[in-house]
Amino acid sequence: MKQEFITITEKETAARVQAGAVHAVRVKDITKKGVRVYRDGKIGLAGAVGSVDDAKLVNEAEENLSAGIEYPYALSGDLKDHRSYNDEPMSSEELLEQAEDILAVLRRDYPDFGFSELISTTELAYEMRNSEGLDLKYEDAFFVVSLILKEKASANLFDGFLAHVSRKFDPNRFWKFNRALLEAYRTKVDLPAGERLPVFSFETNEILYFLSQALNGERFAKGASLFSGKMGQQLFSKKVGLEQNRDPQNRPGPFFDSEGVVLKNNRIALVAEGKLKRVLTDKKTAQTYNLEHTGAARGAYDDPPSIDGAGSHALRFKTDSKDLTAALAGSPAIISVVSSGGDFTADGSYAAPVQVAFLFDGERLLGKLPEFTVSSHLDKMLGADYIGTFDNTVFDLGDIPTQLQGYYMTVKR
Amino acid sequence: MFNFPDGLYVDVRIEKSFETKISFREKALQEQKARTKRGAFIRVYDGKRWYYISTTDLARIQDHIDSLAEMAVPNARIGEDPIVQSLEVHRQDLRRFEEESVTVVAIAEKQALLEKFIDLIADPAVVNHNSYYVDKKMVKSFYSSKGSAITFDWQSCGIRLNLDIAHGDQKDQMVVSKGAEFFGELPAYLSFFKKEIEKNIAFVKEAKPVEPGDYTVLLSPEATGIFTHESFGHKSESDFMVGDETMKKEWALGKRVGKDLLTIIDDGGVFGSGFTPFDDEGTKSKKTKIISQGKLTGRLHSAGTATALEEGLTGNARAINFEFEPIVRMTTTYIAKGSRPLAEIIGEMEKGIYLDTLKHGSGMSTFTLAPARAYKIENGKITEPVKISVVTGNVFTTLDLVDAVSSEFELASFVGGGCGKMEQAPLSIGFGGPYTRVQKLKVQ
Repeated sequence: MKQEFITITEKETAARVQAGAVHAVRVKDITKKGVRVYRDGKIGLAGAVGSVDDAKLVNEAEENLSAGIEYPYALSGDLKDHRSYNDEPMSSEELLEQAEDILAVLRRDYPDFGFSELISTTELAYEMRNSEGLDLKYEDAFFVVSLILKEKASANLFDGFLAHVSRKFDPNRFWKFNRALLEAYRTKVDLPAGERLPVFSFETNEILYFLSQALNGERFAKGASLFSGKMGQQLFSKKVGLEQNRDPQNRPGPFFDSEGVVLKNNRIALVAEGKLKRVLTDKKTAQTYNLEHTGAARGAYDDPPSIDGAGSHALRFKTDSKDLTAALAGSPAIISVVSSGGDFTADGSYAAPVQVAFLFDGERLLGKLPEFTVSSHLDKMLGADYIGTFDNTVFDLGDIPTQLQGYYMTVKR
Repeated sequence: MFNFPDGLYVDVRIEKSFETKISFREKALQEQKARTKRGAFIRVYDGKRWYYISTTDLARIQDHIDSLAEMAVPNARIGEDPIVQSLEVHRQDLRRFEEESVTVVAIAEKQALLEKFIDLIADPAVVNHNSYYVDKKMVKSFYSSKGSAITFDWQSCGIRLNLDIAHGDQKDQMVVSKGAEFFGELPAYLSFFKKEIEKNIAFVKEAKPVEPGDYTVLLSPEATGIFTHESFGHKSESDFMVGDETMKKEWALGKRVGKDLLTIIDDGGVFGSGFTPFDDEGTKSKKTKIISQGKLTGRLHSAGTATALEEGLTGNARAINFEFEPIVRMTTTYIAKGSRPLAEIIGEMEKGIYLDTLKHGSGMSTFTLAPARAYKIENGKITEPVKISVVTGNVFTTLDLVDAVSSEFELASFVGGGCGKMEQAPLSIGFGGPYTRVQKLKVQ
């Protein structure tokens, strides 16, 4: 019988913020364990939170074999890869000092705003090892500022955010950008003239989620995907590249999937030069539908590996453009910061309200815009109306690299 | 049970949960698991700051109380602190699910039931499907240094079918879901699932893109529930108002925000997915009229916000699980039913949109509703299906645009999903209401 062990630990100290002051301190130290056993082409699972003996979980997983869940696939093995991305996590004491310092500045220099929510330091570790010689470990730590910003003169629930995630917190860097951001919040500007405007965003979650659904290998193979039957075809602008990217430098999280697959250079191209090259597959989907295996298995610590929900957390556009200022050709553009609740229809039409946005010139934020709505279609956003994907040098969210992606969209006041 | 240190307020919330998840990919078993989890959340308060810890080691709760107490500054007058004074004291055991617990139903029986629902999926237009049975039973115990000792339980179970439907180039993903409190209630939902599967297939085959614009919109009870939750429910969560004079003025009690026909209620005592007989500060559930006949009459509170705003507790301090502290959240929130029959309300609509089922919603200054199934209303009748990305409205003005609520009324029951608020998601909540007509919403 083959055995596999998954252990996730999360340690966190969080300063809970209310009305601009620390009103609570929260400490968390949680361990979650999952065990998989494999015998005769079947998989059995067990899991627990807290300190539970491995032998007990192995017994429970063996009992679960009787459910008869098929898993006739070779386990990943013969690989030891331990990676730590932050050897000096911020201590709880320093976290509280930094939180008090940040909040003192905000209260003193920005009394026209209210701030609430959380400043925290988190240490994460994901481990996966099995009886076939697989031994993977990802360790990381972050300092997080996640503050809701409320203009005191506003009747909105909230008017924006101060958001920052760093492995090494640099207060000078934090204040250099966030002072400019808060000044931009204070400076109200109007939308540029016209209905077709350049709109940029560093939050590409909605489009990536939609694409992950369409790139799901099972849906693709069964004809349920927007991209079914289009392998090799030109889907988007030749500039567009989309990859499954598990490099923790770009996006904190394990560098392996839930079957213990480590991608070469941490990534694999799904769309290259606008053409569909591959879809998201786990071992089962790849074998069942004769598709290339792309290491996209997902699942909670005590779940079986699955293609369900694959992709959106690990999809990343390739940076394809460099000079943002030149791309704007002297015209101001919109940077969408909070766009909550929008969606795509199944055929790719897109509409969303934009609750918080700024006007910018390619380098600097010029002021806060009133609320508006945007609409477009996937084919246009990544086709004729695609401006490009840039390294984000405008809206500093910390020392983990982010991107800015822009399209011309229909903007309605 | 615990030694509570002098000069501090302390409470301990212990959660013992049992969960089952069975999933099928098409007709192949994908997962069959039953888990028991235990954890605790401890709060210590010295009158100036709260100190929290979450732990899975229940044997060390006393150690954690003592270590948090070392971080706090003992306060001889902690009993006079207004927050501490406001906290209720109850000593009750309100377990309701001991006899019909999902924990005693054999997992094979649960799987066999799910397979009956999967057998309903026979139309070739459903090209892919994943199906789930889930249940959860939670036993919560709450102890405080003021003397509370409460134990209650809560359970839910349900079926969820995720369907990939394709008909030529017409493709979409649809969900059919239904939840209940007792396992024995689920078999009766077979006919509901059959009809919903048929409606979803017909919708995907026939839906055409909507002509964007402003429309009069009729909301189903499910859509009414999400509309209520997103358009106004979050506004009633008073943690957004603490220390904010503008919000207090804008949302002053007594202010008219809607017509006389509009009454909105939050009630943790309603059985179902929002059932919260005691909140996570030990406050007993209350029926809070947030809006009564168009006027603001209440807000949702934790002890901290109630004290800050000098209002009473409402039983709305909730956490998603033992890893988090309670914050102000809704329980079961709904528009009270009206007096007009649905047929009459539809009959007077020349042109509009009917929102039948939704994928999700959101609620900031602009609230959003993303429809799964929507239809045109023409000359007093529901007609063609239409594809809509999102329906939006302004939270400050839309409530006053509600001009009809039906006498038909239904609370939604489902499994999967829930409410998100910053880091805490998903929280199980209840919602629903009558059929509700809104004079103008933006449809895209």
